[in-house]
Amino acid sequence: MYQFIDRFARAFAILGGIVLSLLIVQTCLSIVGRSINTILHSDAVQASAPDLAERLLSTGVGSINGAFELVEAGMAFVIFAFLPLCQLKGAHASVDIFTAKLPERVNTLLGTVIDVVFALVIVLMSYELAQGMLSKLRTGQTTFILEFPVWWPYALSLVAAIASALVAIYVAWARVFEWATGQIVLPVETEEAQ
Amino acid sequence: MSDITIGLLSFPALLFLIFLRVPIGLAMFLAGLVGLTIVSGDTTLAFARLKSETFTTFSSYSLSIIPMFLLMGHFATLGGMSQALFKAAESFLGHRKGGVAMAAVGACAGFGAICGSSLATAATMSRVALPELRRYGYSGGFSTATLAAGGTLGILIPPSIVLVIYAILTEQNIAKLFLAAFIPGILAALGYMLTISIYVRLHPASAGTRPRVTYAERLKALIAVWPVLLVFVAVVGGIYQGWFTPTEGAAVGAFGTGLIAFLGGGLTRHTLSESFYVTARSTAMIFFIVLGAAFYNGFLALTQLPQEAAAWVGASGFSPWTILLIILVFYLLLGCLMDSLSMILLTIPIFWPIVQELDFNLVSMVDLQAARLDGMIAGGKEIPAVLLSEAQAMLANGQELSREMTREIKLRGVSEGALNRVNIERTAIWFGILVLIVVEVGLITPPVGMNLFVINAMDRKTSMVDTYIAVLYFVCSDLVRVILLVVFPIITLILLPI
Repeated sequence: MYQFIDRFARAFAILGGIVLSLLIVQTCLSIVGRSINTILHSDAVQASAPDLAERLLSTGVGSINGAFELVEAGMAFVIFAFLPLCQLKGAHASVDIFTAKLPERVNTLLGTVIDVVFALVIVLMSYELAQGMLSKLRTGQTTFILEFPVWWPYALSLVAAIASALVAIYVAWARVFEWATGQIVLPVETEEAQ
Repeated sequence: MSDITIGLLSFPALLFLIFLRVPIGLAMFLAGLVGLTIVSGDTTLAFARLKSETFTTFSSYSLSIIPMFLLMGHFATLGGMSQALFKAAESFLGHRKGGVAMAAVGACAGFGAICGSSLATAATMSRVALPELRRYGYSGGFSTATLAAGGTLGILIPPSIVLVIYAILTEQNIAKLFLAAFIPGILAALGYMLTISIYVRLHPASAGTRPRVTYAERLKALIAVWPVLLVFVAVVGGIYQGWFTPTEGAAVGAFGTGLIAFLGGGLTRHTLSESFYVTARSTAMIFFIVLGAAFYNGFLALTQLPQEAAAWVGASGFSPWTILLIILVFYLLLGCLMDSLSMILLTIPIFWPIVQELDFNLVSMVDLQAARLDGMIAGGKEIPAVLLSEAQAMLANGQELSREMTREIKLRGVSEGALNRVNIERTAIWFGILVLIVVEVGLITPPVGMNLFVINAMDRKTSMVDTYIAVLYFVCSDLVRVILLVVFPIITLILLPI
């Protein structure tokens, strides 16, 4: 089971990484387009090769229209897609100096309660995100420049949010199981650098 | 119970949760959720905010800089830039007393220029420099402490993720903050090198010697650093010059380092997936804290606590410098327990309204008039020569120009309001850099110095206590620098035109 969840979370991280990379490439292309456009409009080029400049400009070279909106829409998915792996590996920042001295039994219970609450919060978050999406769907709101429906990125994010919720529920379940039986379900990973 | 009381009570509750090992993001989120519910009477408002706030936080254009910078840091490592930096620094400094340690600091500073995170800088440079330090007979605690301190240069030298967050919270210009961090960052690196040379004189047994390297080899090592320079100039220079937005700059940096890594053969399918995993974990962690903080701060704003606190401090009659000192000491103490990003997100929404009201006299009317006059001259505006020389003489004497004179010269942007705006901006930048440094001291102060943990985990033979003792020297260097920057704000602000 852990193996499967691990692969599932990693798959989402890769998916998020790919979308992130695409957004990066798109942003760079947009900058290149904008620079070429600026150069073609510059006095030097307009004076020396006006025809060529005109021909090139007519191909529509310039910054990508609405690149900004795509980054925003894509980034929400990226972050949600990164969440499952973070959840599974317990990579969230916490302060454990005061609890280090508590008996192990208490610490296990504490860890269990925290992960159960965490799962509840992420489920609630996904549920409200779904509500948010439905309300955007009803109002038919679109983005300013590209005019695509706002609920699209919401829906994409929702898929990743549900994945996070599933992983969070699994982690919570595993903690409860570990606490009740004393068996180890989630391997304790040695602190990887970074 | 008034809303303010609820707001005040939320602090101990929040700290209690955090000290119970509840992840910081989750703790803030819960405190915000419960607080909103209590203040508004039911859960409707809190849940309604959840509908869109999660999405808008995660889809923020300015925050999207964070995963890009994180990815860029990994690509830089894969591209062998950390290796190249260390080799170059080592070839120049290695033969000196404590030279390999100095080289490690220098390389950290260089890596900090393409990496926005301290932990990543510390971890990356440790992988490269730790074996070398041990090979040349540097003692364990000294080596780990050097790298932990060097790692803090990662957030101080731009680009810096913590500064991005600070800029967003205080609505300041990211490019200006990056620029302002530059000199303090260089000072930090020099301070650490000085610390090293003092340390090896006090503890001669803690460092070995390394043979001198020929100039030809030095040159070769230096040339190998060109990708770092290229990326730094393109990203930070481009952002500052206004060629692109900070987010676009981060994208250019990530793309550039990725390309360099790919061409160098360091970027394969396997390492790319690894980069995605590591970036995923750090990004999700950071964004969850940002989300929790947004929620918690939303609740605090509703209770009016930040405004009331600012008003109270303003009326208390404390001098601005006392208040600044209290805040900085508070950060130093909290930094022993909490990570820098969480601290900034948690405290800046409360401290910034307070600090904003304080007058540190960073810019006087004379400074402002002189700067605007210079601006007019540089802009080629015509000013009658007699009038100009009279005005310049007055300003040089520290005399304010009268309103009639400014009108005659047609000097614009010199009203009291403009002066106030300039002062607030400069206070924000100066305060931001100071806070950045004190929270970054927290990364290397025992007991909870994240950098210390990361590096000690990579060198199990060295005991934590050895690291703790050696790192105190670097903490002293940090404190001296903070005092310098507090007493002379101009060090931070000199690169920024008024």
